[in-house]
Amino acid sequence: MANIAAQRIKREFKEVIKSEEVAKCAIKVELVNDNYTELKGEIAGPPDTPYEGGNFILEIKVPETYPFNPPKVRFITKIWHPNISSVTGAICLDILKDQWAAAMTLRTVLLSLQALLSAAEPDDPQDAVVAKQFKENAEMFHLTACHWTNIYAGGPSVNKDFDDKIKKLVEMGVDEHEARVALSSYNWDMERATEQLFS
Amino acid sequence: MVDYFQERGFNTVEDADRSREEELERHIMRLMADFNLFDEMGMPNQLAPPASPEIVNNLPEEKIQETNCGKCDICLKEYEKDETVKIIPCKHKFHSECIIAWLTKTNSCPLCRHELPTSDPIYEQYRKEKKRQKEREIDIENLHNSMFS
Repeated sequence: MANIAAQRIKREFKEVIKSEEVAKCAIKVELVNDNYTELKGEIAGPPDTPYEGGNFILEIKVPETYPFNPPKVRFITKIWHPNISSVTGAICLDILKDQWAAAMTLRTVLLSLQALLSAAEPDDPQDAVVAKQFKENAEMFHLTACHWTNIYAGGPSVNKDFDDKIKKLVEMGVDEHEARVALSSYNWDMERATEQLFS
Repeated sequence: MVDYFQERGFNTVEDADRSREEELERHIMRLMADFNLFDEMGMPNQLAPPASPEIVNNLPEEKIQETNCGKCDICLKEYEKDETVKIIPCKHKFHSECIIAWLTKTNSCPLCRHELPTSDPIYEQYRKEKKRQKEREIDIENLHNSMFS
């Protein structure tokens, strides 16, 4: 790894640890390996969003050409959000692509991702199914995103109705996560989800 | 002796031809913008091209006189005495090698996104047209307000 990338990450790492956001438990970074090429990020779900109370883990890969190229970031924690793939965790955010600037840091990236959780951009979606639900059925989107936060990110709101529907499908031999994806994609319509799973 | 026509700001035929060419270019660019051809070329979602090498080579330089006068926002290192920094038109400064590495990739200030000229003619036209479009929107808005307020 080029020297400048590793040196800069070391400096940033100290900056993030000292930042006030860490003190407030809003963001966190950890090293994954000794040569500073891979890190683990963590952001808290922002208040007044379906992600509130959840902790979301991110994979951060630092390219050799950093900071002239953006870090590669994706969600490890599964999340229901228009700009994040519910399958791979890939993120659609301009600053991680063409709007990257060399003065940005791990801290500003994590804060931007937290802002993305507060303000989705459904017109520039990563996950078309989620974006469609977000635009056409806001209430259903909210409930589904809360449920995913509860299951995968340790959020507080338990949805008995959704849990029961998943249980029924699991009893029919369907994988739990697959059942959740199918139900989420069909607005928790049991019939249509079953049809899709068994077709 | 100053020519009668020159004195009154007339152009020679050669210049007139050039401005007609420019006029034509402007119409083509506007047509491209109106039919979303720039969008189709993927212009808005691409990293802007590098700053023109000529501009980069001629950026004013400064020698750091004393330590403790801030840090370079690209490498995050504190400036040290006798290091050379370059100052870009928005007045932001960076280590010479840091800012050159960035500007040979894309044309904007890493801190404030102020854009430097590029040597990519299509991108320059796209940028001009974008600016013109914004001005047009403001003009229309003003016209609307003057009629209905």
